Amino acid sequence: MSKYHLYQDTDKCIGCHACEIQCKSNKSLPVGPKLCEVIEIGPKLLDGVPKAAYVYVACFHCEKPWCIEACPAGAMQRRAKDGIVFVNHDLCVGCKSCISACPWGAPQWDPKRCRVVKCDFCMDRLDQSLQPACVTVCTTGCLHFDVAENINSIKRERHARLEVEL
Amino acid sequence: MSAGKCPVNSTIYRLKDMIEMNRLVDPYCRRIAEEILELIDDIAWGRAGEDHIPTIDSLSRELSEKGADDSCKETGKFVQTALQESMEVFISHVKTHNCNTGDCILLAPAPCQTACPAGIDVPSYVTLIGMGHDAEAIDVIRRDNPFPWVCGLVCTRPCEFMCVRARIDTPISIKFLKAFASEKAMSDGQYKNPEKEPDKDKKVAVIGAGPAGMSAAYYLALKGYTVKIFEALPVAGGMMMVGIPRYRLPREVIDREAAMLEDLGVEFVFNTRFGKDITIEQLKEEGFEAFLFAIGAHKPYKLRIPGEDDYPQVIDSIDILRNVALGDRHSPGKKVVVIGGGNVAIDAARTCTRLGCEEVTIAYRRTHSEMPADEEEVEQAEEEGIKMSFLTVPVEIVGQDGKVTGLHCLRAEMVTKAGSDRKFPVPVENSDFTIDADAIISAIGQQVDSEGFDTLTGLTWTRRNTIDVNRACMETSMQGVFAAGDAVLGPATVVEAIGGGKKAAQAIDRYLSGIPQPKLPPVPVRRGRLDFMEVPASTKMSLKRPEMPLLNFNRRRVTFQQVELGYSENTVREEARRCLRCDVCRRCGACVDVCRDRMEINALKLGYLDFDHPVQTDFRDTADRCIACGACAENCPNGAMKIEDVGDERILSICGTVLNRLKLEYCEVCGTALGPAKYHDYITRRLKGIARTTEGRSICVECARKMAAHQHNEEIIPIR
Repeated sequence: MSKYHLYQDTDKCIGCHACEIQCKSNKSLPVGPKLCEVIEIGPKLLDGVPKAAYVYVACFHCEKPWCIEACPAGAMQRRAKDGIVFVNHDLCVGCKSCISACPWGAPQWDPKRCRVVKCDFCMDRLDQSLQPACVTVCTTGCLHFDVAENINSIKRERHARLEVEL
Repeated sequence: MSAGKCPVNSTIYRLKDMIEMNRLVDPYCRRIAEEILELIDDIAWGRAGEDHIPTIDSLSRELSEKGADDSCKETGKFVQTALQESMEVFISHVKTHNCNTGDCILLAPAPCQTACPAGIDVPSYVTLIGMGHDAEAIDVIRRDNPFPWVCGLVCTRPCEFMCVRARIDTPISIKFLKAFASEKAMSDGQYKNPEKEPDKDKKVAVIGAGPAGMSAAYYLALKGYTVKIFEALPVAGGMMMVGIPRYRLPREVIDREAAMLEDLGVEFVFNTRFGKDITIEQLKEEGFEAFLFAIGAHKPYKLRIPGEDDYPQVIDSIDILRNVALGDRHSPGKKVVVIGGGNVAIDAARTCTRLGCEEVTIAYRRTHSEMPADEEEVEQAEEEGIKMSFLTVPVEIVGQDGKVTGLHCLRAEMVTKAGSDRKFPVPVENSDFTIDADAIISAIGQQVDSEGFDTLTGLTWTRRNTIDVNRACMETSMQGVFAAGDAVLGPATVVEAIGGGKKAAQAIDRYLSGIPQPKLPPVPVRRGRLDFMEVPASTKMSLKRPEMPLLNFNRRRVTFQQVELGYSENTVREEARRCLRCDVCRRCGACVDVCRDRMEINALKLGYLDFDHPVQTDFRDTADRCIACGACAENCPNGAMKIEDVGDERILSICGTVLNRLKLEYCEVCGTALGPAKYHDYITRRLKGIARTTEGRSICVECARKMAAHQHNEEIIPIR
C-alpha cells in the first residue's frame, strides 16, 4: 500500500459528487473517465426506513498492483518514495491491459488522448504540500487524506463518536 | 513529397514551445496564445473555416500591441510575422485542405496524387470505382483533369510509379481504371459536365486545341468565361489526335471528350493558324482580353547527317503520324528504318507495320534499358515483329537515282565520361555497316514551331526555344498572355499538358478578376476522404494486378484497331480493392512500432510502410499473433488503423483491410463487451505469479467498481 491513505467517513457522505467533478476538472478529463467515483448503495429499507450509503472508490494503490504487472509498456509505475501507483502518459500505448487486469476498476480510459488515466492522489499537488483535489472540495468534510498512521486516529475518533451516539 | 518545412506546422511547434516553457506569465496573454495555438492546430488538421486566419491575425496583433510584457509582445510578433510571410500557405491549408510538404499529416496528399502532374485525387476516385460509382469517380477526376478517358488510355502514369502497392507486389492499374470508368459513364449517359458559373462576359482566346489548350478552355468555361479555341489543324486534340496513333487512342475517345467542351459553350475554329490566318491585334479587336498559347511542339529536329535533304523518302515521324491520323494510309516503303528511341519512334514504327511495310527497324544510339519509350510500348512493338538495332549511330543516308537505298551507320559503345555518372554512346571506328531501307523516318524529337510569332516582340523565349513563362502561373513576359503545354515544356506528356492548362486557367481567371498571381505553383487538392472499402486480408494479398488482354497479333499487324482491349467490369472493381488508401494511411509506422517494440507482440507485418527498408508485407499474418488490444489503432494519428466491435466480434483493420477478427467475451454482470479471449489470456499470462487467479473472472470496469463499493460497504460499514 502507499504511504498515504484516503479515508471516507461514509456516515457523513451525502453523495453530492463534488469530489468527482473537482477531480475531473483538475485533470482536464473529457466525458467518460472517472478517477474517483461515489457509488450509491441502496436505497434499502432498514427498519421500515429507506436508507442509502455512498461509497467513495478510487484506487487502492495496492502493494503489488496487478495493473503494473499487466502493463507491457512500463507505463504503469509505482512511485518509490511513497508507493503511489500512477500512469506515465508518455509510455502508455493504450492497450488497456491494466483496465482489464485491475479487480477494482481503478484505471480508466481517456478517449480523447487515447491513454489510460488513473487516480495518483494528485501527486503533483502533494509535492507542493497540497491535498488531493477531491478532498479539498468535499462539502461535508468526509474525505480525509493523510499518511496512513494519522488516519488511524481519525478512524478511532469516529468509532468513539458512533459508540456515544448509540 | 516536396522538400522543406511547412510554415503552419513549424509555427505550431514554436508557439507550443513558447507556451510550455512558461515564458508567458500574464494569464490573459497566455490564454490568447493558447487560443491562437488551437486555431492554428485547426488549420493543420483541416478543421479550419474562413474566419480562422482573420481571427489569428487580430488576436496576435492584440498580443503584439497590447501585451502585458515583452514576452507577450514577442509572441504576438512571432505569430504576425509567420502569418504574413506564409499567408498563401496558410490560406491553401484552409481552402484546399492540403499540405504539400506532408508535415501536416492529415492534409498530405497521397504519393500517387503528388506524382500526378494534373494532381488528380487518385485514392478517392479509385475507391469510388471500387464501389461501382463510376460517374462520381469521373466527377472527381474532372475537377483536375477534363480528359479522364484519354488519360486512361495513353497516360504515362507517373502515379503508378509512385504507387505504394508496388512495395508489396505491383502497382494498382490506376491508368486503366480511369478509362473503364469513363467508358462506362459515357455509355450509361452519366458522363456529365459540372454546373457552370454565371456568365462573366469576358472573352479568352486559346491558341491550340491540344490537351493544354482544351483543359484551360474547360476550366475557363466552367468559370463563366467565353472561350474560343483557334486550331491550325482541321480536328481537335492536338498531339493526342495527330501524334498518338489510333491503335492506342481511338478517335471517338478524343471526339467525345472534346464534345464535352462544346457542350459548355467553348467554340472551336479549325484550319486557323496563329500568325498566318489571325494576329493578336485582330483578336484584341474582337474583344479578347486574355490569350493562351498552347501551340505544342510540332516541328521536328533535323538529323543533321548527309543525305537528309536529298531524298523524298526521308520523312519526319511527326509528319507521317499526322498524315496517317488525318486519313492518308499510304505505306512509306517496304523496308523502313526509324531513327530514335522514344515513344514517337515506337509509334511511327508500329504505324508503318500497320501501313504494310514489310520490315521495320528501329535504330537507337543507346541500349534497350536507356530507351525513353514506355516499356510496354517497346514490348508490344517487338511482339509485332519490329526489329531493334541498338548502339547504332546513323552517319549518312545513302541512295541512288533520287531514291533511298539504306542507312549508313556506325556501331557505338557506352562510355562513362569524366565527371559524369551517365554513360554516353561513342561511335566505334571502322565499325561501319549499312541497313537496307527504302524509307527513313526520323523520330529524334520535336521543338516548338515559332513561325509567325516574330510579330509578338514582347514575348521572350528560352534557350530551348520554348515560350518563357513564370511556372507558378504560366504567365509570359507579355501582360495577359499565358502559355502552357509542350509550347512551354518542350515535347512532354498529355497529363503534363493538362496540368499546365489547368494552372493557366486559374491564372487567367485571377488576371481577369484583378487578383495578383500566386508566388508558388498551386498544390494538388484533396477532393475528399472517402470511407474505406472492407476487404479481407487474404483477398487483399491474393488479388493480383490483371494482365491487359491484347488484340491478336495478326490483327495488330494489319489494322489500327485498339490494341489494349481493357479489363472486364469485375476485374476493374477487384483491382480497385487492392488500393492501400495512402491518402489516409501516411505510413508513419506508429502501429508497427507500438505492436513490436512496446507491446512486444509483433503481429503487424506491414513492411511496405517503411520506404527506406521495405521488408515483407503480409496482411494475413497479423491474425496469428494479434490479441486485438487496439494499441496500434489508439496510436494511429490518422484513423487508418481501426478497432471496432461489430456484432459479436472485435475487428482490427487498416484502411478497410481486415487484419484480425476475434469473438468477444462479455461482462458477467452487465453484458458489456470486454474483449476477445486471446486478449484476456495475454493479460492472465502477464499476471501469473502475482495474481491468485484471474480465470473465470470477466467483469467490466464499471461493475468492478460497483462490486468494490458493495464489498467495502458490507465488510466495513454496513448501511445502518
